[in-house]
Amino acid sequence: MALTSLVVGMSDCKVTRDADAVLVTYALGSCIAVAMHDPLTKVSGMLHYMLPESAIDSRKAEQNPFMFADTGIPRLIDELRAAGGDGKRMVVRLTGGAQVLDSRGVFQIGKRNYLAARKILWKAGILVAAEAVGGEVSRTIRLEVGSGRLWVREGGGIERELVRSNGAKGRNDNE
Amino acid sequence: MPPELDQPSSQPAGTLYQPGRLDQEPAAPDTVRCVMADVMEAMFFTEAEPTACEHAWLGGARCARIRFGGSHFGEMLLGVSAEAADPIGASFLGLDPMELTEAQRSQVIQELANILCGAILSKLWPESKLALSSPKLSRWEEWPDVEALHHCFAIPEGLIGVSIRLTAALDSPAAGPPSDRPLAA
Amino acid sequence: MAYSVLIVDDSPVMRSFIRRVLNISGFELGECTEAGNGIEALAQLSAHRVDVILTDINMPGMNGEELMLRLSADGTLKTTPAVVISTDATNERIVRMIELGAKGYMAKPFTPEKLRDELERVLGDRDAARA
Repeated sequence: MALTSLVVGMSDCKVTRDADAVLVTYALGSCIAVAMHDPLTKVSGMLHYMLPESAIDSRKAEQNPFMFADTGIPRLIDELRAAGGDGKRMVVRLTGGAQVLDSRGVFQIGKRNYLAARKILWKAGILVAAEAVGGEVSRTIRLEVGSGRLWVREGGGIERELVRSNGAKGRNDNE
Repeated sequence: MPPELDQPSSQPAGTLYQPGRLDQEPAAPDTVRCVMADVMEAMFFTEAEPTACEHAWLGGARCARIRFGGSHFGEMLLGVSAEAADPIGASFLGLDPMELTEAQRSQVIQELANILCGAILSKLWPESKLALSSPKLSRWEEWPDVEALHHCFAIPEGLIGVSIRLTAALDSPAAGPPSDRPLAA
Repeated sequence: MAYSVLIVDDSPVMRSFIRRVLNISGFELGECTEAGNGIEALAQLSAHRVDVILTDINMPGMNGEELMLRLSADGTLKTTPAVVISTDATNERIVRMIELGAKGYMAKPFTPEKLRDELERVLGDRDAARA
């Protein structure tokens, strides 16, 4: 059966429980993608945000909460719960946060985006299952809603599955 | 108080380990910077960058002092700027800053001093014996000793200052009268 | 099955941090009790059994090394897995605590996820040993 591709753009978020869907986001540089999957109900979501804190531009945050970690991640969690997902069961993976010279000319924003996600998830009572963050590569990811498996392509490389290793986090850190 | 904080290391003469001096440790400044970054990122979810020292803010900072013994004797002083104390306490505990109690505010600063001191000394001298006192709330002091190590850091929430110095063992003739000794357990 | 845990640390906020990790790690957590030093820990353990002990080292009263010594000398308690959670990462201390029977050693700083991974490993080993 053909899988339905749901593309998550920059400053965007999608939630679905369609087991035939695949959530995809492209060109993660310094941005972070937060992918969540409830293995029981299959409710899944993906957020692709650009900046850590909405206080720098609260008008923009009102127009689009998914641009910022501190407005986007709580919205993602709320939408997942509304769709029948359970926060305690969620498998959460982080990707992106690379140190790239992006359109703003800022190097450090990748790490700040990553730390913002960890802080907000910790406050929400959620631990990260696996991550592929840092380094200097652009990443593209896809989350299969039916299986919960997440695949990462880094730079021009081959796609690999992001899993938890024994005692580690499936982290690919090129730093 | 840990017995190791009262007595010099009981290593017999002729053993390989020799206590070091901070001013003669070329690795010491980088060690402090790396450990500060690791601690703040792993457990406080924030980024610490070295910054120029302008110490006016330290008068109003929340500070903790911790003493250490074993192979080296000394103390570390930590200062966290007033505006940073609540956000980092809240980050550590997973709370909103408004939810922090006064006791938690102090305890987080004390625990940060504990983590920093142990991690810095363990990384600098991994083959040493190490014992740490319970961290105590304190006021900031400037230590002009040539042997003292000092760095200031900027975090998005505010500023952090760290000073470390080696002192003589407590019961050695060079120690002088005891001052601010931790209470015996 | 639900795991019961004893957290031994003289810092109330460090105990809160550890407790939070336990609560959100996905383990089936039963009773989670706390002690401020080795003396309080032994008093707790004389009253009820636990599945894992998480202990600091530098504590007033009785430190973690002395606690491990007492546990290893107790015919019943020596089978309870203990994980050290400490800012002391010197080699001699790590070796000493492992010699005294510690099943794991978490040197601070660590992320919440790293603590979760270590607990999964230790509890998994314990379950495998009992199977």
